[in-house]
Amino acid sequence: MGAEEIVAKIKAEANAEREKILSEAEANVRKKVEEAKKEIEAHKKAFITAEERRGAEEKERIVRAARLNARKLRWDAEEAMIAKALEEAMKRIKGIKTDGFNGNSYSDVLAGLIKDAAVSIIAGGSAGVDLDVLVSEEDGDFVTSAMLKKIADELNRERGVKVRLSLSGARLKTAGGVIVTGNEGKIAVNNTFERRIARLSSSLREDVAKALFTPS
Amino acid sequence: MAVEALKLIREGEEEGRKILEAAKESDAKITKDAEEEIKRLKERAREEEQRLAVQISDTYTKEGQEEEKAILKNAGEEAEKLKATAESNLGITVNAMLEKILGLR
Repeated sequence: MGAEEIVAKIKAEANAEREKILSEAEANVRKKVEEAKKEIEAHKKAFITAEERRGAEEKERIVRAARLNARKLRWDAEEAMIAKALEEAMKRIKGIKTDGFNGNSYSDVLAGLIKDAAVSIIAGGSAGVDLDVLVSEEDGDFVTSAMLKKIADELNRERGVKVRLSLSGARLKTAGGVIVTGNEGKIAVNNTFERRIARLSSSLREDVAKALFTPS
Repeated sequence: MAVEALKLIREGEEEGRKILEAAKESDAKITKDAEEEIKRLKERAREEEQRLAVQISDTYTKEGQEEEKAILKNAGEEAEKLKATAESNLGITVNAMLEKILGLR
């Protein structure tokens, strides 16, 4: 083999090695880029899923808050109307003292409240005792001895219990109604309007809400 | 003559080495370029993700706000209806309340 042939062979081998190196490098690079693209795509998919979930949660939060506000809006409207009804009732009570209510005079109303309180005390076992009736200064004139005697007679007749009712000299600070005490003040039934409203509060509110918001 | 031949062969070897060196340099450059391309692809993907995050968040927030608006509008209308019903029932209700407070029922 001559020198020229040897040189040609060296060059051919070097060129072949160069081709091998370059094609391997390109194949390597193509593989790396493909892998990177797949990784990017997978990351993007997971990212979108997470963001969609976060977005849906945020939407749900907004809707939940809106529903809560809507309930509050309705509740506020109901409360305002219930308060208005209560306020109206309290205003009407003043007029009842002069005009009566549904054919009943204010004296009739007080008589009913006194009897109701006396029945409660009697039911508690305080039979045959003196009962005192307390009213406000303003209401003193609505309670007469004749009225109290009539109630006592009714109780004697209906319950078989001897009761003596008398109007106390002490006066209450109340919009109206009575307190009846027995057993020397140890037992008391408070039938003032304020107390009755408080006592009837929950059932009253239910009734008011039902009556107010049921379409007629 | 032999000296000439040896010189020729050495030159050939030198050229072959240079070809291989150049090939290795090209290999390194191809790899470096690819790494930079991958870096660019990742950077572009990150930017796209940020843009998508804003877009997705905006879409859901807008949907939520539209639903919120409808819920509150509906509740407002319902509250108005309740008020109107209550106003028309107020007289009867107050009478019923007074009957209870006054002990008439």
